[in-house]
Amino acid sequence: MTHSPEPAIVIEGLTKRFGSFPALDGLDLTVAPGEVHGFLGPNGAGKSTTIRVLLGLLRPNAGTVRLLGGDPWRDVVALHRRLAYVPGDVVLWPGLSGGEAIDLLGNLRGSLDERRRAHLIERFELDPTKKGRQYSKGNRQKVAIVAALAADVELLILDEPTSGLDPLMEAVFQDEIAKEKAQGRTILLSSHIMSEVEALADRVSIIRAGRVVQTGTLDDLRGQTRLTISATLSHVPHERLDVLHDVHVDEHRRLTATVEPARINDAMAALTPLGMTALTVSPASLEDLFLRQYGDTGGEAR
Amino acid sequence: MTPPVRTSPLTGTRPLLKVSLHQDARLIAPWVVLISVLSASSILAYAWVFPDADDRRALAATLGANPALSLVFGPARDLSIADGFNAWRAGQLGAFFAGLMAILIVVRNSRANEDSGQAELIASGVIARHSRLAVAVFMAAIAAVALGVFCFVVTVLCGGGVTPTLILSATFTASALMFAGVAAVTSQLASEARAASSMAVGTLGVCYVLRGYIDSSDYPDWVTWLTPLGWLEETRPATENDPWPLLLALAFAILLVLAAFALQGHRDFGQGMVATRPGRARAGLSGNAWGLAFRLHRGLLAAWLVGFAGLGLLFGNIAGSIGELIAENPAIGAVLAASGGSSLTFAFVSTILQIIAIIAAAMGVQIVLRIHAEEMDVRVDPLLATALRRPTYLATNALVAFGATAVGMLVAGIALTLVAWLQDNDGSFSLVEGIGQAIVTIPGVWVLVALAIAVVGAAPAKRLAAWAGVILTFGLTILGPTFNLWDWVLDISPLRHLPNVSSLSPEWSGLLSLAGFIVVFTTIGFAGFRRRDIART
Repeated sequence: MTHSPEPAIVIEGLTKRFGSFPALDGLDLTVAPGEVHGFLGPNGAGKSTTIRVLLGLLRPNAGTVRLLGGDPWRDVVALHRRLAYVPGDVVLWPGLSGGEAIDLLGNLRGSLDERRRAHLIERFELDPTKKGRQYSKGNRQKVAIVAALAADVELLILDEPTSGLDPLMEAVFQDEIAKEKAQGRTILLSSHIMSEVEALADRVSIIRAGRVVQTGTLDDLRGQTRLTISATLSHVPHERLDVLHDVHVDEHRRLTATVEPARINDAMAALTPLGMTALTVSPASLEDLFLRQYGDTGGEAR
Repeated sequence: MTPPVRTSPLTGTRPLLKVSLHQDARLIAPWVVLISVLSASSILAYAWVFPDADDRRALAATLGANPALSLVFGPARDLSIADGFNAWRAGQLGAFFAGLMAILIVVRNSRANEDSGQAELIASGVIARHSRLAVAVFMAAIAAVALGVFCFVVTVLCGGGVTPTLILSATFTASALMFAGVAAVTSQLASEARAASSMAVGTLGVCYVLRGYIDSSDYPDWVTWLTPLGWLEETRPATENDPWPLLLALAFAILLVLAAFALQGHRDFGQGMVATRPGRARAGLSGNAWGLAFRLHRGLLAAWLVGFAGLGLLFGNIAGSIGELIAENPAIGAVLAASGGSSLTFAFVSTILQIIAIIAAAMGVQIVLRIHAEEMDVRVDPLLATALRRPTYLATNALVAFGATAVGMLVAGIALTLVAWLQDNDGSFSLVEGIGQAIVTIPGVWVLVALAIAVVGAAPAKRLAAWAGVILTFGLTILGPTFNLWDWVLDISPLRHLPNVSSLSPEWSGLLSLAGFIVVFTTIGFAGFRRRDIART
């Protein structure tokens, strides 16, 4: 698949208010073509609102939004033929079977790859003859995933797509998304499952209270985040170790602390005299990054 | 009402009842107030509109004997006193709305909670198996009693007599109790909440229509006892004030609730008594937006069509015997003749068509409001995330609403006209004119459907306006003339502007102005739906 050089999604200064409540407060987001972009944030941060603006369901109060080179509010039909969407909470029609719902959504989009449809139903072990009200949460989710992935589109917008899936199906999902990525599709993936984002995403944006507070590749983000040091010491340190943060030493002389990536040498120099008998230095996991952003100390990493 | 299962305590009922009442009070209060206003207003209006004895005699002679009105209100026993007028005007209508209130309360607090998953949370708590249904029934019972008490107090304060008002208010309570029982049963039978309330409301509708049919036909008195609403009528407030039929209603309600508990013991959580069959693996008809709109309303439409055919047949039967009724009461003949047209049967048929039109409008509004319900259930998001345009989505539903109301009017109109024509003795009633009148009534219904589209499209928060349109039209068309309202007020009703096809020069211009309103309302709906945010709960 070929891509135009312009970004798949460009959002600048997006504001959306519900009454007086600002759901989005000057949000900026850029997603390059062909990339899997992880979209992270605590509950109520504005992820779904951003996605609903991108889908043309909500009208922005301010800011510019470009989607696949078009205006998501104005060019609904042209844009929607080129994208597919999986909501985080799939509500099916009680009287319609899963198979009927998949066909309906595919027909409405105007593209449904029969071979893909059959393949995905088999891979996700979905019974397409069950009625909407009989599916469990995870199975409802599968119906929407099959409908979206069976479409031949450039952009997938996935809003917590795997909520309710069992670990086996989660693995199948990651596998299928990796295939989509290999075909060059752009994917906006909102998720709370860190391993999923770490495995799939090229770049990540973290949203908080309606604004993106951090964006970049996972390595970029890690580069800005302190490393975790655990060491077992022979002597208890008597003076303060200024180079380390969050220092904690227990009664067995085990030390845990964090350090800025740039000062790792200084940290080693400070710890060596204390006679280390064991040492692990681990990079920040996405989870650490997250907790740092989600927690109220988020400001310092900005 | 006593808890039906004495051996197993209804653990957890009390705290759940408290929370549910707190949540639901805001939804119940308007029903209690409006039904009470219906009763109190007839007492107030009576003194104002019919100040002296002559007016009251004229009222009794014309309206009381009009079979089209006994169809809606039941027989008028004594219109020469305010309480008698109230018993006639508010009695059956109030009982209908009280039943509707109870049905909605019971389904909302039992079955609907299962569909939304809320009940699962509750059922996992320390709560006995039957407690949730018990809470729903208790709530309906509390609302029923509250309605009775409030209506009694308000009506008496407005000048109603103590005994007749007591009996009348008690019939409202009794009706609410009976239909709470009906809803408790249908909540066990149906596979989802929407079907449960449709079944219960359908039962209420059938009871009401049968009662109307019996009242406006020449049946012996005992036939009235065949329908539950007939029992309430037999209390005869203001004339005989007989409370005994209320006991029958209470016994019936208790029986239904017991049956509901027995049925509940035999079904699984979230399922009806009838197991859901597997569906098709591939979409046929429902594979596009138009098919989907039809598919979602399929069951509802089938039930309504049967209902319309039934209405037409029953009412046609009454129309056929209109000659005999007029022979007994020349005054009513004069009234019907004054409404214009070539034959008395035709005049009666066109009045009945207006009543059917209001019923059709209620169906149309129900279909249109479904658009909003789907939106709140977040089923519209995935549809609009495809290449489906918003106007197309709205149009698919609008088509079903316009189409279904037109077909409903036609089916009822043809059945009504045919039966009336077959029974018409003097040959003055024309089949073509009857069906023609049914056809020209359709635009009147469409104005109300279009109003609902305008509201749902542009301002769904104000969706009650759609029902207000139907109720206002009903009030002005059926009740308006009884109050000698000014012409400009009566003209608000779209049904006032229908031409009379049997007259020598029908006023077709009325249809033009109705068409204008249909276009304007529909345009507002479509324009608004394009501009606004798609809502979600």
